[in-house]
Amino acid sequence: MISTLILGIALLIIGFYAMLTQKNLIKIVIGFSIADTGTHIIIVSLGYLRGKTAPIIDNAVNAVNAVQEVVDPIPSALVLTAIVIGLAVTAVMLSFIVEMYKKNKSLSIDDYQELKW
Amino acid sequence: MSIWLRVLYAFISVSVATVYGLMLGGIVRKIYARVHGRYGPPVWQPFLDIIQTHSRRVAVSHGNMFLLGPVFRLAGGLGTYLFIPVIYGSAVFGNFSMAGDLLLVMYFIFFGQLGMALGAGNGGHPYSPLGIARGLAQMSTFEVPFSLAVIAVAIQYGSLNITTIVAAQQGGFMNWTLFTNPLAVIAAMISLLGMNMHSPFSIVLAPQEIPIGPPIEMNSSFLGILQTNRGLFAAAKLVLFMNLFFGGATNLLEMVAKTFMIYMFSVFVGAAYPRFRPEQSFRFFLKWPTIIGVLSIIFISYFGGVL
Amino acid sequence: MVSPIYILIMSLAVGFLLSIIDRAGRKISLTAFYGVLTFNVVLMANWLYRFVFLHVPTLVINTAGFKAPISINLELGLMEAFVLFFANLSGLLAAVYLFKKFKETQVSSLILYLLLIMGANGLVMTQDLFNMFVFLEILSISTFALTVLKKSRETLSAGFKYMIAGGVASTFFLLGVVFVYYFTGSLNLGNLSAGSFTNVGLVSVFLLSIAVFIELKPFPANGWALDVYQSVDSGIVSIIAVVNSAAIGFVFYKIMPLLPSEFLTVFGIAGIVTFLFSNMMGLKQDNAKRLLGYSSIGQMGLLLAALIFTANVQPSVRYLVIGGLFLNHLISKAGLFWLAGIVKQDKIKDWGILRSRKPLLVLFGLFIFALSGLPPFAGFWAKWEFVKVLVDAKMFFVLTSVLVGSLFELIFLFRWFTSVVKNTDETNEQLASPGKSKATPVIVFGLMAVISSFGIMRFFYEFNWIQVLPIFAVLAISLIDSLPSKVKGFLSLAAVAGYGYYIYPLLENNLQMFFGVIFIIGSAINIIATLNRKNQSRGFYGFLLMMIFSFGNLLIASTYLEFFLAWEFMTISSFLLILRGQKAQRASLLYLIFSTAGAYLIMVGFSFAPALSSSGGALINVIELVNLPLVSIIVLAIGFMIKSGSAGVHIWLPEAHAEAESDVSPFISAILLKAGVFGLLMLGISYISFTPSFDVFYWIGWVGVITALIGAFMASFQEDAKKLLAYSSMSQVGYVVAALAMITHLGWVSALYLAFNHMMFKSALFIAIAGVYYRTRTRKMYEMGGLIAKMPLSYITVLMSIIAVSGVPPLSGFGAKWLIYTAFITKGWYLQAGVLFFASGVSFLYLYRLIHTIFLGQLKYEHQDIKEAPVWFIIPQYIFMAGIMAISMFPNLIIKPLNVIAMKYFDSSIQIDGLTVISELGHWNGNLVMYVTMAVFAIPFILLLVLKGKTQKVKQFNIVYAAERPESPQTTHVAHNMYAHFRKALGKWTLPRVQLFWDSVAEWSHTLGGFFRRVYTGNGQTYILHIVVYIVVMYVVMGVK
Repeated sequence: MISTLILGIALLIIGFYAMLTQKNLIKIVIGFSIADTGTHIIIVSLGYLRGKTAPIIDNAVNAVNAVQEVVDPIPSALVLTAIVIGLAVTAVMLSFIVEMYKKNKSLSIDDYQELKW
Repeated sequence: MSIWLRVLYAFISVSVATVYGLMLGGIVRKIYARVHGRYGPPVWQPFLDIIQTHSRRVAVSHGNMFLLGPVFRLAGGLGTYLFIPVIYGSAVFGNFSMAGDLLLVMYFIFFGQLGMALGAGNGGHPYSPLGIARGLAQMSTFEVPFSLAVIAVAIQYGSLNITTIVAAQQGGFMNWTLFTNPLAVIAAMISLLGMNMHSPFSIVLAPQEIPIGPPIEMNSSFLGILQTNRGLFAAAKLVLFMNLFFGGATNLLEMVAKTFMIYMFSVFVGAAYPRFRPEQSFRFFLKWPTIIGVLSIIFISYFGGVL
Repeated sequence: MVSPIYILIMSLAVGFLLSIIDRAGRKISLTAFYGVLTFNVVLMANWLYRFVFLHVPTLVINTAGFKAPISINLELGLMEAFVLFFANLSGLLAAVYLFKKFKETQVSSLILYLLLIMGANGLVMTQDLFNMFVFLEILSISTFALTVLKKSRETLSAGFKYMIAGGVASTFFLLGVVFVYYFTGSLNLGNLSAGSFTNVGLVSVFLLSIAVFIELKPFPANGWALDVYQSVDSGIVSIIAVVNSAAIGFVFYKIMPLLPSEFLTVFGIAGIVTFLFSNMMGLKQDNAKRLLGYSSIGQMGLLLAALIFTANVQPSVRYLVIGGLFLNHLISKAGLFWLAGIVKQDKIKDWGILRSRKPLLVLFGLFIFALSGLPPFAGFWAKWEFVKVLVDAKMFFVLTSVLVGSLFELIFLFRWFTSVVKNTDETNEQLASPGKSKATPVIVFGLMAVISSFGIMRFFYEFNWIQVLPIFAVLAISLIDSLPSKVKGFLSLAAVAGYGYYIYPLLENNLQMFFGVIFIIGSAINIIATLNRKNQSRGFYGFLLMMIFSFGNLLIASTYLEFFLAWEFMTISSFLLILRGQKAQRASLLYLIFSTAGAYLIMVGFSFAPALSSSGGALINVIELVNLPLVSIIVLAIGFMIKSGSAGVHIWLPEAHAEAESDVSPFISAILLKAGVFGLLMLGISYISFTPSFDVFYWIGWVGVITALIGAFMASFQEDAKKLLAYSSMSQVGYVVAALAMITHLGWVSALYLAFNHMMFKSALFIAIAGVYYRTRTRKMYEMGGLIAKMPLSYITVLMSIIAVSGVPPLSGFGAKWLIYTAFITKGWYLQAGVLFFASGVSFLYLYRLIHTIFLGQLKYEHQDIKEAPVWFIIPQYIFMAGIMAISMFPNLIIKPLNVIAMKYFDSSIQIDGLTVISELGHWNGNLVMYVTMAVFAIPFILLLVLKGKTQKVKQFNIVYAAERPESPQTTHVAHNMYAHFRKALGKWTLPRVQLFWDSVAEWSHTLGGFFRRVYTGNGQTYILHIVVYIVVMYVVMGVK
């Protein structure tokens, strides 16, 4: 669990680093995606219990003492929703970039700072 | 006292003061002439001048306010004089001092000056407002040490009533304000130089720069009235100073002697010094005389007049 | 009753269906679309009604058939219903506003819009943290997409920055949610409290709250928001500023109970810092929508701070503060953004086009006034209560920031407003008709602003109608505004008379009566001069009446708030009157800024004051039982002295007096300044009974005498007749303040005497100069001269008035001098008396200059044919002259009543023996002085008439001239820079240091604003950096482990 948590945090940091240093709009969005993924991994890792199985009641899990056998289902449920939302946000971002490129033929974030002060 | 008797007394008082004031003017001219090495006009020359100006066939007028200017001026002189008790304890020379105190006298002085300034302004000659502007500015500055001195006197005697102030100075010359509150007297006497407009403070009438200044357009009877006032007003100011600082007077002779001496002070200074430029004059009054005035207040209020 | 969950259901359902039914035609889909939005509003209105009036309990909605925490639950209480009603209403109106767009654009915009509104509703109602995240994302994504409703380079780049910032914030929010779950095992707000988090667990609430906080755009991590406000379509941006902010702000409100108090304090301070800085940066902004953005950000910061810092006060006050701020921001900000979309001008200076549509201009003014927190709008009441809360809690840093920030906001808003009203570059461009769909929402919100303010006044404060009368006066006159100006003038005169008749019995003592005479009768006489107006003067009489009624209301105000309300009404109306002047933009703005700063101080001062114990009776009477603390006295005194134009804070005065229309100036000078005197007097009354250890009034006295001196000096160096009179007013009121500050019987008698005298002669002088201006069309004195021959009646007024000003006997001015010097010497203020003597000497300089350069000297050729001033100017002048003559002749007419007034507070120090007034120091018989003066004047006059020979009247240039022949009046009239020598003598002392000081204050704050706003580089990456750094800094500051 700890290792996944560390992985998640590392991804988060890498993502932010990319967002802060990359000038290309698409790379920034990729950075955002990485950070998003890091977040998802953190979520999952927090709900993970060593030696337990997925919270799906089927043959592998005895319905009677399911609570002892499965990981916490709520983070898993959360992460699904979060992934969907992250996807939507990323999609909107990318569509913006497409439009921006159409209008200005540039993908550098430095070329979009006429609004300031 | 019946009102008519009072008016009669006032008439006598005013006449005496006017004659005396005009004589003083004549004496001054004589003194100046002698200092300059000339023979000079007779001392009654001012009377001759007044008769002469009133005898003109035509009076040239620039408008109604011009006409009223000299009237205001003389009214100011008369009023100022009439609100001062001239001789301590005298009914004839008590005037209308019951109408008000020292503040009234100080402010009534402005009545004539303001009216004259307006009349002269109506004359349309540029030298008039030039002279008036100088005069007003100078007045605002020499009033500072004078008013500080007056405040010091008011503190000292606990009164602004001129009769009370004179009464407090009776019984020997050591009771005069001159000796009990010397700083105030110094400040006031320096302002007197400005009030009398002799050199070095003769910037208003300054004959070389703005020939005779405000009254430049005044002629015939208008000028005559101004000349009359010059005598009366001078007397009024001197009497005021005598009352405030030099123990007042109990009889006519004492009054004449004291006021003459006070007047001679500014005459001597005037004969000895050249004229200031306007801004020098203004600055002068706001420096040492003002500091002396402030010191006189500190002296009298914090140390009770005893050092 | 319909459950609010149907808002979510309907929005989703119709949202999905829209894409299908749109194929049947846009009309149908639009009907469905507006149907849902209307349904939302009606539903919430109903619920709000039920919560407010039927007091139904908070509604809890469980979903999926389970109770929380098994399922997600929603809650709808009073707060939620309040926020949602207004959010949905704004949503509906913004949609109406966007009607044309929605008719043409793709159907997806409609869907997005519905989702946005649904997201906001869900966000406010949900009690589950993860659900909150979902709604937040719905709201955000739909907003992102809607930002490009108008597709352009700007909107795209702004939208992108917005998305990145929003994405980062929601990442943190998500992390926070998960950590909350990890540490507590629950996501339901009902199960969580601040106690659920300890040590490491604090990280979770930190992440949660900082994410929400970032969404609320704290300074400096908010550059993205500004870009959005600037570029995005007005209709959408109004939603972002209002609906999104409200919903997210409400989220913060809901998670507040989870946060430890240290966090909250830091957030509160961060909110205040945001408020202060964004308003400071707004000072430099010239783009209208970006300016509104700065203001929005600031308002949200203030709202957050108010949320946090009012947590412990009684609920009704808290509701008023937060509700007031919220409503105020919502209405005015949405309204202004909509107007921005109608005007379609980026630059503030181009908004002058709004003048071509008067109703829109009025609405614009309404929103600006509301946003600046001026009464009667909601923000005013909120600020009043909030200041009180802050003072009680001793949060002085926050208090100062709130007030300074508000002042900055007022400055830039009113710079905008005044430039719209007054901008001089004539554009004949007409603003195109906004069309019904765009105009309706603006009008509705304008009405809401008015209705809500009346609601607060009527139901919360339960004011008497008389307190609101000033507003009704404006409304009433605006109804009959099409009548000719003279009719309105006479009606106003009647109204003032009626008002006077009404409040006469309410004036319980002589002091009120005395000020009643100055305020009401003085105003009534001055109204006569306004009857000369030829044009229709739209709006003039309404604001005039508002001002006069406010004067009167000051007298009868029975609580601090009533007093302050009247005070503010007075400020607003006088500001609007001054603004009518032709070149009054700068002057009126300066006036408003200083007045508002003063008003803030008064507000603080009243907040420090102990509650009034006895109810009933006017404030001026019950104040003697009130022990004002020292700090209260000091701030109140400064506040009142700003209004009376005391030295140091006087720079508004000459401008305002000079630039106001010439028949307005007498009101401003002769009457308005006395309101400050009235306030100081009120302080003095309390001061007599409860004298604090530090002698405040001693220093007020010094300020008074310095004011008298500086005013006189400045007046002497003016070329503009009205400025000269203005500085003269400053000087004269300085005397009044100084006299009043003595807190002695004679001091007060002289202060009131002088106040009354000043009212008469300064009204007369200003009206006389108004007449001269009316004929010559110039205020520059050196362009006049010799007018005595043409305007003798005006000349006589000016002559008598200057005698009365200068204090030369026999007119009433001498009485003032006599009283005041006697009072000073008896009090022992000798040096002050010396300064006053100097000031009074200097006053001769400007008085002579006034009368000489206008009426004496050389008549200009172009004035050969002018006539006497119109009769409407002459009548009031001579009424005042009659007054001056009466009290000059019989000083007892005024001395006796004043003696009685002052005897209520002190032992009398004067005796009145027949016609003689006897003081400790001397005596004065005004009546005798008058007779003697008449006699000594008559004698030489008769003498002159007898002695002088034939009088020869000569022509203009027939003068003894020493040098060249007089050529033209211009070269012969001594007028320009008349006291050059005096100025030279004084040298550096004549530098306008106070002006320079305030100029540099202005420059510094603008430069600082300009400096700080450089953080907004426009680069999206920098903005992310700001957010990340901000989070780290907050992490450190809050001391999270």
